[in-house]
Amino acid sequence: MIEGKNLRLRIGDRWLAQDLSFSVSKGEFIALVGSSGSGKTTLLRGVAGDIPLAGGQVITHTTTPLPIGMIHQDLQLAEGSSTLKNVLSGCLYRHSSFQTLLGFPEEEKSKAISLLQKLGLERKLHQWTSTLSRGERQRLAIARTLLAQPSILLADEPVASLDRKWAEITLGMLKEYAMAQDACVICSLHDLDQVAQFADKIIQVDPEKPEKWNVLINTPQKA
Amino acid sequence: MTPEMKSMPWYNRLDLPGVTFILFLLLAASSLPALEGSGRNLDYWGNFLRFTDQFFPPDWSILGQTMEGLWETVQIAGISTFLASIFSLFLSFGAARTISPRWLVFITRMLLNIIRTIPSLLWAILAVVLVGSNSLAGVIALSFYSTGYLAKFFSEAFESADLKAQKALQSLGSSRWQAFQYGLWPNLRPVIWSHCLWMLEYNVRSASIIGYVGAGGIGLHLKLYAESAESWNKFSLVLICMLIIVTFLDFTGEKVRKSIREKLEGKI
Repeated sequence: MIEGKNLRLRIGDRWLAQDLSFSVSKGEFIALVGSSGSGKTTLLRGVAGDIPLAGGQVITHTTTPLPIGMIHQDLQLAEGSSTLKNVLSGCLYRHSSFQTLLGFPEEEKSKAISLLQKLGLERKLHQWTSTLSRGERQRLAIARTLLAQPSILLADEPVASLDRKWAEITLGMLKEYAMAQDACVICSLHDLDQVAQFADKIIQVDPEKPEKWNVLINTPQKA
Repeated sequence: MTPEMKSMPWYNRLDLPGVTFILFLLLAASSLPALEGSGRNLDYWGNFLRFTDQFFPPDWSILGQTMEGLWETVQIAGISTFLASIFSLFLSFGAARTISPRWLVFITRMLLNIIRTIPSLLWAILAVVLVGSNSLAGVIALSFYSTGYLAKFFSEAFESADLKAQKALQSLGSSRWQAFQYGLWPNLRPVIWSHCLWMLEYNVRSASIIGYVGAGGIGLHLKLYAESAESWNKFSLVLICMLIIVTFLDFTGEKVRKSIREKLEGKI
């Protein structure tokens, strides 16, 4: 579904990866693991096309209207907008500017509310996003991307601000999404227990050995 | 002060605030002749006491017509702020460096500079010449005057806005308009509304004075009472009513703007 071929990543003079190749199939949940500053965000942004790669290419095999959707670490939410509208803004591409000028279709609203219920935000539908806690805002950003239904979902530390309970619920939803929608999820994570519990495979990022971190291995639990 | 600084000549120790402060003092000193007035002995203090003595007690018999004048003033301020907000929104797109090409930014900003250079009283005189002595002249004058300021404030809000949400929506496939409507506008809306409220407060004050040159509102009453002898007690009543309404608007406007600011910053 998505292939990285001989990817080369660099920040300034520092090489993060010199020859990274991987292939992810439909329904797979991939964990991107490595210490802080090791290049996980750069890899995800490179795959999403936000930043140019120093070499190699990313090939996607999708037929959906939205091939890639990303949950950014800094969330990128409209602070002065309500929780519900922020989630609904994930479905904008499915409708014309004229259709969404005065609001959203009821069907989309139902889907958005259902996602917010699963993520524990149903009581804050009409609250300004700026007034939510960091953890709530993180769940909101996840709901927005899930509503968008991309074929490839990239998540940059999506549970960094969540407690264990919500982290497990959220990762469970991402895993379920990958399987139900035949999508693939690439998710950077720090907690190795979570990696073992949810990931099908791991990309291990090692900044000390940029030529060697092109490994795609099964999780310890599933090896 | 470090020993190195002590060994420096005095002029080398000056920084920008120091230099500008000295220039300010020089300007104030060179402006002392402005305090001389006409040079005649007019018994300023005696004049002042006589003048203020006639202020009290205020003449409450004109309360009804004063309230009518004040209401007209508020109406002039309200409609001109509304019109200026709409004009400014369009002009601010042209003046924002993050949105428009450089040539358009240059032209729009030049236009706004020209509008701002002309004080509200002068706009009022021009409008009275154009449409005669009535409240429409006040609306035209304050609409132009406010547009110069609001468009500048709005364009600065556009330039300093966080574009991440807008870009995130574009990366999720939305159109440019949708990304603006749902990504950028929600962050700008409270700031822009806050500027509009401030302008409304400002315009109520301005609308009070432009009547002096015939542009409608309470200013006309002020002029009549100031020019006719023995009417200072009427003049004082108008001033008291203006003070109450301006203070009320200042107080509520500040409350609302503070609340908007805090909500956007996530403090409430």
